[in-house]
Amino acid sequence: MRPENYQAVQLGESNEYEIFIGPNHPGIEGNYALKLVLDGDIVVKGTTDAGYLHRGFEKLMEGRLWIQNLAIVPRICVPDPAPMEVSYSLAVEEIMGIEAPIRAQWIRVMQLELSRVAAHLFTFGGHAATTGMYTPMYWGVADRDLVLDLFEDFTGGRVYSIYNIPGGVRRELPNGFLEKLSNLLDYLESRQNDYDNLLFTNQIFVQRAKGVGILSKEDALDYGVTGPNLRACGLAFDVRRDDPYLVYDQLDFDIPTQQAGDAWARILVRRDELFQSIRILRQVIEKLPTIKGPIRTPIPNPLSWNVRAGEAYARVESSKGELAYYVVSDGGDKPYRVHVRGPSSMHAVQTLEYLAKGARLEDVAQIMFSLDACPPEVDR
Amino acid sequence: MNDLNNKLNDILSRVNGIKITHKRNRRVRVDVPADSLTTLLELIKGQASYVHLSAITCVDWIKDNEFELVYHVWSYEENCLISAHTRIDRDEAKFVSVYDLYKPADFFERDIYEMYGVFFIGSPRMEKFILTEWHGMPPMRKDFDSEAYVQETFNWTEYNPDWLQELTDQGGGIAIKPEDIRLSGCLHNMATHRQRDKLKATQKVGKGWKS
Repeated sequence: MRPENYQAVQLGESNEYEIFIGPNHPGIEGNYALKLVLDGDIVVKGTTDAGYLHRGFEKLMEGRLWIQNLAIVPRICVPDPAPMEVSYSLAVEEIMGIEAPIRAQWIRVMQLELSRVAAHLFTFGGHAATTGMYTPMYWGVADRDLVLDLFEDFTGGRVYSIYNIPGGVRRELPNGFLEKLSNLLDYLESRQNDYDNLLFTNQIFVQRAKGVGILSKEDALDYGVTGPNLRACGLAFDVRRDDPYLVYDQLDFDIPTQQAGDAWARILVRRDELFQSIRILRQVIEKLPTIKGPIRTPIPNPLSWNVRAGEAYARVESSKGELAYYVVSDGGDKPYRVHVRGPSSMHAVQTLEYLAKGARLEDVAQIMFSLDACPPEVDR
Repeated sequence: MNDLNNKLNDILSRVNGIKITHKRNRRVRVDVPADSLTTLLELIKGQASYVHLSAITCVDWIKDNEFELVYHVWSYEENCLISAHTRIDRDEAKFVSVYDLYKPADFFERDIYEMYGVFFIGSPRMEKFILTEWHGMPPMRKDFDSEAYVQETFNWTEYNPDWLQELTDQGGGIAIKPEDIRLSGCLHNMATHRQRDKLKATQKVGKGWKS
């Protein structure tokens, strides 16, 4: 777990050296390390070293009440916590045989898409920073902060909202919230040109990102890659469209794809997705005032709440890919088993090891970030 | 949709001892005996395009002395998720790897090996991954009591720095008795009586929180 060496170590009489990248590295979105064997500056072999963030979430959840776990789940992925709450709630609802009221479903969609916008803004900057370009990072974090302000407004929490509950959402939206949201979307759209000029059409960045970390469609399917990383290889799969949950089947949005499968294609897919999320949010703004009704289906007293025996596999599309919760209940007041299938567990381990092989050392950080892995999903 | 279900049912019914449940739209649960599982996966991957292994989950049914392994497989063409459930003996805790069919199995099998101690024959990396500094029993097993382990291993009453001592002298400090915590009902459930008694015996309860 702890790196055995912090300096490059020559391996025997060969030309090969072993070094560690991480666990704290500016090119990584969180803490995990990559043990590299290098020949010159070409990577011969990369091995992912995870476990720095293991907090035993799955075990913790087995010892806590159904309601208490709502405070645990968002912590599994810091940049994009909303899909965690929604996925857990959907799984529990499926076991209980209840459904959130229609208004709550629209609010959940809004929360999910806002979270996706925040996560993608974070990733743009991070990806650019791995190529030595720091301005998009400042911009991305600053714009993400405006989204967090909205989260604070309607959930009370900036990062971890803990807003969902099996059966619906916890609070009604504050007065004038949709107007604020609309203003933010206007602002984000007005930034499109700036971002394009600074990053997406910037030749210095394009040349660094093109052709780096190429993943073919066949390999992507082989390695279980999902989300924007899969769509960057040309396969238009999105859980929101192909395994719809909540009210996504009533929404009109496109699934952006790219064909190249390299780091450049991956960031372009995220850029286009950001604007699709804005499109979805505009539909939510239009639709939400017309839906009246409750925001919660009643559940029993949370302190003596037994969920009937059963199991459910609830999938959602997070900003990283396919996120799923497998929840098993034996009829008790605590879950019998909760398994978190984070998309990054596929991206950060096998896929990264595969892509790092043959890459140049200077590109490794970019490959890591272009996969947009969230290490706590690996460790849990 | 019905055609599709019929085709899938045809393929599934070729597997020995299978029990098929259509849970809801796009979710099919199948229960198979352990020796038919690889046959099932080979069939649905080869003949019904279920190419995406979404996850492998292990559930510890300690009362039945069994581990349940659940393989969640998704088809990009038919948009359907099959969850294949199988049970293996808990004492032996051995199963065959499906790595040759699905590469992501490498990660999930290693995870299960580490957390439950189920050995997968033929899996490429049956070694420590996350818990490299852990030498106890696989911690996700139901008979591993993490709270008891914490009580035995760590002693927070030994932590008594000067600043805390000053606070305690002024009438503050760590003074919340376990039964005074708001959710005492659930805390009571969480800790067993044995641990609670031990906790009471060792914990230094300060004064001043509540008279």
